[in-house]
Amino acid sequence: MTTAVLVHVVVSGLATGSIYALVAISLVIIYNATRTLNFAQGEMLMISTFVGFTAYQRLRLPLVVVLLVAVVAAAALGWAIERLIIRHAISATHFDVLILTLGVSLVLRAGAGLVWTHDEFPFPALFANRPVALGPVRVAPVSLGIIGASLALMLALYVFFAKTRLGRAMRAVAQNQRAARLMGISVERVYSASWMLAAVVGAVAGILIAPVIFLSSKMGLVAINGFIAAVLGGFGSMPGAVVGGMLLGVLENLAPLYLPSGIKYSVPFLLLIAILLVRPGGVVGRTVRRKV
Amino acid sequence: MRRAALALGLVALLAWPWASPRYFVFLASLSVVNAIVAIGLNLLSGYTNQLSFGHAGFLAVGAYTAALVTTRWPDTPIVVTLAVAALVTGLVGLGLGVPCLRLEGLYLAMATLAFGFVVVEAIMNLDWLTRGNDGLRVPAARLGPWALQSDTARYYLVVAVGVVMVWAALNLARTRTGRALLAIRESEIAAQASGVHLARYKTLAFAISAVYTGVAGGLFAFVVGFLSPDAFDVFLSVDYVAMIIVGGLGSVPGSIAGAALLTVLNDSLAGFQSYRPLIFGTLLILSLLFMPGGVARAFRFLKGEQG
Amino acid sequence: MRYHQAWVVALGALLAAAPAAAEPGVTDTEILIGGSNSFSGPLAFTGEQITKGGVELYLRVVNDAGGIHGRKVRTLWYDDAYRPQDAVANTKKLVEQDKVFAIIIPQGSPPVVATLDYLEEQKVPLLFPYQSSPVTRGKRWIFQGMTVSDRSSKMMIDYLAGRRKFKKFAALYQDDEYGKSFLTAFEKDLGRHGLKLGAAESVKRGVTDVSAQVAKLQATKPDVTFLVLVPGPAAQALKERQKIGWSDTLMVSTGPLTDERYLALAGEAAEGVEGLSLWPDPATSDRPGVKLYREHMQKYAPRNEPNRYSMAGYFAGMLFAEAAKRAGTNLTRESLIAALEGIKGWESGILPPLTIGPDHETQKQGFWVRVEKGRFKPVTDWLKGE
Repeated sequence: MTTAVLVHVVVSGLATGSIYALVAISLVIIYNATRTLNFAQGEMLMISTFVGFTAYQRLRLPLVVVLLVAVVAAAALGWAIERLIIRHAISATHFDVLILTLGVSLVLRAGAGLVWTHDEFPFPALFANRPVALGPVRVAPVSLGIIGASLALMLALYVFFAKTRLGRAMRAVAQNQRAARLMGISVERVYSASWMLAAVVGAVAGILIAPVIFLSSKMGLVAINGFIAAVLGGFGSMPGAVVGGMLLGVLENLAPLYLPSGIKYSVPFLLLIAILLVRPGGVVGRTVRRKV
Repeated sequence: MRRAALALGLVALLAWPWASPRYFVFLASLSVVNAIVAIGLNLLSGYTNQLSFGHAGFLAVGAYTAALVTTRWPDTPIVVTLAVAALVTGLVGLGLGVPCLRLEGLYLAMATLAFGFVVVEAIMNLDWLTRGNDGLRVPAARLGPWALQSDTARYYLVVAVGVVMVWAALNLARTRTGRALLAIRESEIAAQASGVHLARYKTLAFAISAVYTGVAGGLFAFVVGFLSPDAFDVFLSVDYVAMIIVGGLGSVPGSIAGAALLTVLNDSLAGFQSYRPLIFGTLLILSLLFMPGGVARAFRFLKGEQG
Repeated sequence: MRYHQAWVVALGALLAAAPAAAEPGVTDTEILIGGSNSFSGPLAFTGEQITKGGVELYLRVVNDAGGIHGRKVRTLWYDDAYRPQDAVANTKKLVEQDKVFAIIIPQGSPPVVATLDYLEEQKVPLLFPYQSSPVTRGKRWIFQGMTVSDRSSKMMIDYLAGRRKFKKFAALYQDDEYGKSFLTAFEKDLGRHGLKLGAAESVKRGVTDVSAQVAKLQATKPDVTFLVLVPGPAAQALKERQKIGWSDTLMVSTGPLTDERYLALAGEAAEGVEGLSLWPDPATSDRPGVKLYREHMQKYAPRNEPNRYSMAGYFAGMLFAEAAKRAGTNLTRESLIAALEGIKGWESGILPPLTIGPDHETQKQGFWVRVEKGRFKPVTDWLKGE
């Protein structure tokens, strides 16, 4: 393979990797607040993208407004799921909540099929597909656009968690809920905010990836890779989620480039097992002390 | 009282094929197969807190092992076939369990999820052995001179094996291993402090769980009659997790109830077509909101015990 | 001894006196048919369209016109989400509980193949399964629906290597039974022309990125690149080709892929793509059967849009109705099979005149198309698949 091909494939992998990273971040946000895995993350992403799409089709809104519509819809959906379902299971075990979110994902996916059919739809792209020359290599604006937009969102999240009151409250809850409550933080508000924020991050990821993998009721499956990315990075860590996502995206592309067909699709999974075995806390994870 | 209930249950199981239409005999077989997987998974998750999203992978290993043994040596008695399936799957479970010892919670869940994917990939790519995507037809199981070709014959096979597996699971609690697992369930650190070799028993739980699922896989092969990689996707693994949670973690009767409930529900909703996942998901949500701890806990609550 | 003989005589008399056993699924007023299909899972859209959008559409027309010999046709569908074990359960339920007369248009190789032996054994007609593997061939109770992969391959290779004289071929295929069966057939047919498949790369269903596979194929510089995929990944591949500016290969879609959805998804990246089309254009063709199909859809399901899936189901319903009509008032599974086997030169107005031979295949031909301004333009007449 020539260098140009290699660069293209890696950049392309970074683009899908950014999406995995965004999904991983949204999973981590919810996990940090409520200590649950959200199986419905992919379906929440899909629903918000569909709502944006409907706004685009019916009202011919510009794409930036469509993005806004999707984000608002996502926040509402995240709020509703947390408030109406998850909060009622607050005393339940993590396993119970896990299956609750599984139920939510089934309902959302089937519901989307009933409203929008299970067909696939072309989604208007924010960025062009035709390549541009950057020095000796040619790259597609769509890949760069996805990477750029994702990085911008990650930066915004960083500022949010570092500088704002709510962001700091969320971090406090992630570290120690009881202590946070004693400090006067409304943990319930943090739960709500976490689900809403996670849904919003997912919605942006959905709008970014929909032109590439198309809009359909099954696009939420992209969240499986988000899970893997989050674990690769050490579940709970946001920088880890970013690294895990990018790593997975690039590896997924490099494996078919160099390996025979019999093994290439197992590589991300074998790698996941291998990394977990060598570094059980993920690539950038820390070791967790067990409490009695 | 308890003995009478048990005896009644056994009689009902034996009489089922004579009392119900043929299709429900098949459905009952499927429920028992799923119940065996659920018990196996519950031994792992309910006792040692190790969540697995890869049990469809173990089921596949057991199913393909049994199918290949029967294809290659058609005269093998079914008991031997199932034993081989259990052994192979148990070894795979051991192979996965040892390295997974270092992992907990989510990480273990993800490692097992990855294992499930790798098994499906392996089935697709080892097509000289598994016939890959073409799928594998499973010949009838043999017991001495008889070929188990009817739904009823297969039902009795599945029930006989199921009863043994349930009996073993119920009695596990009375053995040293069972007590160690129970101690681990209550508190890993406390168990360790009282001299339970944590690593050994967690690995053992993995292997036992795999053996159960391997046996179920062997039965699955004969009941369904056709195997292909599409049968063992990650959603099937998730279904098994749902079964034990709806049934109740750490409970053998709960596992059976959860498996039977979800199998029958899944089947009876098929006619709702596109609405099937919608209804299934809603029921799942409602049952967990109003019945936390699953069927087992609800039952204990009804009997007036502490939930 | 004598006692036993008496019993046998009595039994014989009883049997002779009893009316002929009623055929499952057939009463004086109704015929019940059904099938297991994908209403959820990866192929839910196709499943919904071929069954409710297609078979039911045509049967409503038939029922409104008085039914078949006075019998209305009722349908029953179960969801299997593309899982073989669920397909087995559903099919058993249809046969044993609901007692359907025949199974119609189940979808996908794994679910269909899982039920083949059972249906043959139970002597239940399996009509027009929507899958392209040749495993259904040569069975008494099965009539294949979609054009089988080896016939498609023969048409494609004979046209491209024979008529158009292309030399270097490559394929991007889906990593499953559908992709693999085409790959095997391509290799065999290219061999007849003294050629071989230069490179083949696989893609998984639900893939997010195909850049590596496309880059590898580009490096082998094929004249022709086959796309043996489903609409989503195929459109992704076309966009990827545009992304890297790969223009010196002819992209060719297989029959199951050549449809409007994949064009809509790929947009301008599909210009100039060619392919084997198994159906006339459902939205624009003015063949009489296709026009009627659009009229019926307008009348009964105005919210649906014409597409190849519902047209395939519509055709399946039509062929079933035709056979049931020919089987006469005494409709049995046997007589249905005989009627189907007797179909010769039947004009559907959608496909060329159909003759069902001992191979039990109901669709064998396709024609060549090229994408111009976002639509498939026919390039040839119906090609020969035998």
